[in-house]
Amino acid sequence: MRLLRQTWLLARNDLRQEARRLELVLTAGFFTLVVVVMFALAFFALDGSVQRKAIPGMVWLCIAFVGALTLTRVFDRERESNTLAALLAAPVERLAIYLSKLLVTLVVLLSCSALLVPGLGLLFPSSQVFSANPLALVALIVLGCLGYAAVGTLFAAGLATSSGKNVLLSVILYPLTTPVLLFALVATQRLLEGHPELWGTLSQIAALDVVLIGVGAWLFETVLIGAAHSSPAHSSPASNGSARAAAVSARARSKPVN
Amino acid sequence: MKYIPYALLVGAAALFPYCVQRVFLHTPIEAEMGTAQKIFYFHVPLAWICMLFAVICGIAAGVQLRRRSERAEALAVAAGEMTVLAGVGVLITGPIWGDATWGTPWTGDARQVSTALLWLVFVAYLLVREYGPPNSERIAAALAIFGAIDVPIIYYAVKIWKTTHPQTGVVGSLPQSMWNTLFICLAALMMLSIALVWIRAAQARLAIALDQAWIAADTQQRAAQPA
Repeated sequence: MRLLRQTWLLARNDLRQEARRLELVLTAGFFTLVVVVMFALAFFALDGSVQRKAIPGMVWLCIAFVGALTLTRVFDRERESNTLAALLAAPVERLAIYLSKLLVTLVVLLSCSALLVPGLGLLFPSSQVFSANPLALVALIVLGCLGYAAVGTLFAAGLATSSGKNVLLSVILYPLTTPVLLFALVATQRLLEGHPELWGTLSQIAALDVVLIGVGAWLFETVLIGAAHSSPAHSSPASNGSARAAAVSARARSKPVN
Repeated sequence: MKYIPYALLVGAAALFPYCVQRVFLHTPIEAEMGTAQKIFYFHVPLAWICMLFAVICGIAAGVQLRRRSERAEALAVAAGEMTVLAGVGVLITGPIWGDATWGTPWTGDARQVSTALLWLVFVAYLLVREYGPPNSERIAAALAIFGAIDVPIIYYAVKIWKTTHPQTGVVGSLPQSMWNTLFICLAALMMLSIALVWIRAAQARLAIALDQAWIAADTQQRAAQPA
């Protein structure tokens, strides 16, 4: 209960900042539009039956792109105002930090999906089948985004301290999220086809989400503490998380002396 | 203990010519696929080695995070590099074989895709370790653990993904003589890979110890300077 309360408090803080400036939602939402338009330009000539096969790919590629963009920003705010160390020093469970960031990422991804799916329906007539089963569609998008965000939040936290390292996040994110994206692709395909095993696939995604969130929560503390320790690396080279960087700087310093 | 990897290297060097001779001269040619099937004796052991060291890397990374063990960290690095190396071998020999027997280098078969994804994960592991931020040891370790957990999930995911596409036939049952040759090749390649991982892990441990020595010397110097 305490964990849930703390999670909600932290998430509410982030969401309130977001509501004031709408930075994440607006940029990510506009990026979604740009990607949809690009898909429309690239694939407009496809005829009906081929379109239906291409649509799951478009949905999840777009979410993967938007997700990477969002995740680089979610922890940036903590880095820019140097509040990561304060957050770690605050009397909250580390798990609550993970879950709150996960929630914020999920909210942004879902609001982008709310643009993406109708947008695709507008531009590609064969994706209008989506509206036939809205409940399954919502479950699919939520579960898929949740799994993606579970992996992404963990590694975004780890890379939070380094501004120029965002390309590494994409390098990590895409191979590691492939399982959940593949499951989501299959489920989307089945949704479009009206396949009877749709709910079975959805429950598999739910199980996968539980595994991913569990592993993410387990690893979050080690990854994040490493990040927090290394931010003042230049002032205290002996800090635990950055042995290699400290050694490099120590070596550089010792040269002019000898 | 110190000489074990070198003994393994010598053993692999001695066994390897025998493998080649056995594969090409003493093993019957497979009826359906012909001579192209010979690549199987190197492709399959490399794939097994790739999977094995991926799992070892994940476990070692877990131990590294839990116990702060440098020995485990060194082993994780070495195993990660071996996974990538063996993965390159698998991903080169696989399409060559596929091109000769299926008529196309890439069929999107479940094993093919999952091996390629596994390889990507471990390349990412090495990239993060090499170019990552100062805390990259931990991120990389988390990545390796995730990668090792992902392996079976990826395999299953690709398998159900493939059900929407036509299935392709894979190698059926093999006669005993071919299995024997396969296991001799596996032994040679396994000895080589274990030796390489061993040597690299020892070297990585030295590098970590050297880093710590530099830090210790630096702290000492800084403590002495203001006085």
